[in-house]
Amino acid sequence: MTNILLITYTISLIYIAMANRMLTYIRIIAFQGLLLFGIAFVELIEINLLNLVFVLLETIIIKAVAIPYFLKYILDRNRITREAEPYVSNFVSVVVVTLIVLGSFFLANSVQDTSVRKIFFIVALSALFTGLYIIITRRKILTHVMGFMIIENGVFVLSLAVGSEMPMLVNTGILLDIFVSVILLGIFADKIGDVFEEQDVEQLKNLKD
Amino acid sequence: MHVLSLILIIIASWFFTGIVIRTKSIFSGRKGPGIMQPMKDIIRSLRKGSVYSSTSSFIFQLAPTVYFSTVLMAILFIPFGNHAGVLSFNGDFVFFAYALALGKFFMIIAALDTGSSFEGMGASREALYSMLVEPAFFILMGSFSLLTGYTSFAGIFGSLHFGSYISYGIGALASFVFVTIALIENSRVPVDDPKTHLELTMIHEVMILDNSGFDLGLILYATNLKFAMYGAIIANFFLTPGYEWYYSIPIFVVVQMVFAMIVGIIESFSARFRMNHNPQFILMFTSISLLIFLGVLLMMGKII
Repeated sequence: MTNILLITYTISLIYIAMANRMLTYIRIIAFQGLLLFGIAFVELIEINLLNLVFVLLETIIIKAVAIPYFLKYILDRNRITREAEPYVSNFVSVVVVTLIVLGSFFLANSVQDTSVRKIFFIVALSALFTGLYIIITRRKILTHVMGFMIIENGVFVLSLAVGSEMPMLVNTGILLDIFVSVILLGIFADKIGDVFEEQDVEQLKNLKD
Repeated sequence: MHVLSLILIIIASWFFTGIVIRTKSIFSGRKGPGIMQPMKDIIRSLRKGSVYSSTSSFIFQLAPTVYFSTVLMAILFIPFGNHAGVLSFNGDFVFFAYALALGKFFMIIAALDTGSSFEGMGASREALYSMLVEPAFFILMGSFSLLTGYTSFAGIFGSLHFGSYISYGIGALASFVFVTIALIENSRVPVDDPKTHLELTMIHEVMILDNSGFDLGLILYATNLKFAMYGAIIANFFLTPGYEWYYSIPIFVVVQMVFAMIVGIIESFSARFRMNHNPQFILMFTSISLLIFLGVLLMMGKII
């Protein structure tokens, strides 16, 4: 069951590479939150009840509902254009993400460590690199936040692999991390949206002292 | 029993396009033509003679027949559950893919033969999309032959059995990829719209603008046959070996009908992509079949 969810998660990474609109990105991030909820439910069922409820509520409320809703709020409020406007064409993005998945597969295969299960390691690595790639190739600040979200999801997948042994600490850290970063970047994006018309990273070059 | 799949596919091909059109008309609130109407149209064209342009050579007259016969030849390899197809040998899925590609090649050079600028454009697009969809098919069939240890359609589908969760996941993904391969190969909606009236946006239709009468009937019927053929491949994922014929034939019929309805629903609710979005869409299925391949490797324990 976990394997199916993880494969679906990897497909969502490929889909985000060819997605065209900002709304699609937000939907994919919400969907990834749901998938992480499923994975956490299957993987962490053995830990104590209170802890399990906390982790599950964290994934379903924060990752799948609150953050996508918040991103959509920013999107609506700042009248950002609906297209993602990447620097490279989507065709190249699909090829690169496929190469990332293949590369992390071979990388994970060459690591001789049996403490982490292979499929978690592969999916987490590809999510990490895909997030970095999204940050590099997309123009808007909002997409940078989304790329950061994908990286966080990848770290979360990796922590789920060892989740039965040390559950609480990792998840609290991730929760705090996401929450603070999204709020900070949201305020940041809000301010820029008030000063400039477009939320283009290129316009940061115009700043002078 | 070897001709069973051939007979079933031919019967399914009579109804397939009719079901697609009926689904579309129900979703748009109309009653729609009868289920047999596309078949009647094809029979009407088959009764007519053909008109050939004086600038085209014998290739143009040869191509529809070659196209039709390659599709028919490809159908001979499709098994039915644990019954092999009419022909079967090791590595026959490679032959299957390239038999279809031969037919497509003849359609492309026939389109170039007419000298029409539109047809050359359509031929170029058709060649590009077939090229992009080919790795998806081969990676998919390659991972299934790795999983089962056989290299023929009959061997693969005869010994494919699902046990664990991941195998069900892989089976579902493979059916999904095959549905989209069928849509792309038959030039249906997400890639191409068969109902379009503008030559600039056509892919398959623009290639057959100059064909008429008997040749056009052959090409249209070959499209129906191809749909039924891909439907039969998808049905084979659900015909786990050991089922008796009174189970497997209803399963086959239901899978074909559901496939036709899915095609109709997709065509009702989604628009054609912009032409420059098609390559990345098609390439995505190569990526998904690579994921299936990696999943099979994980299942086999080939990776340490």
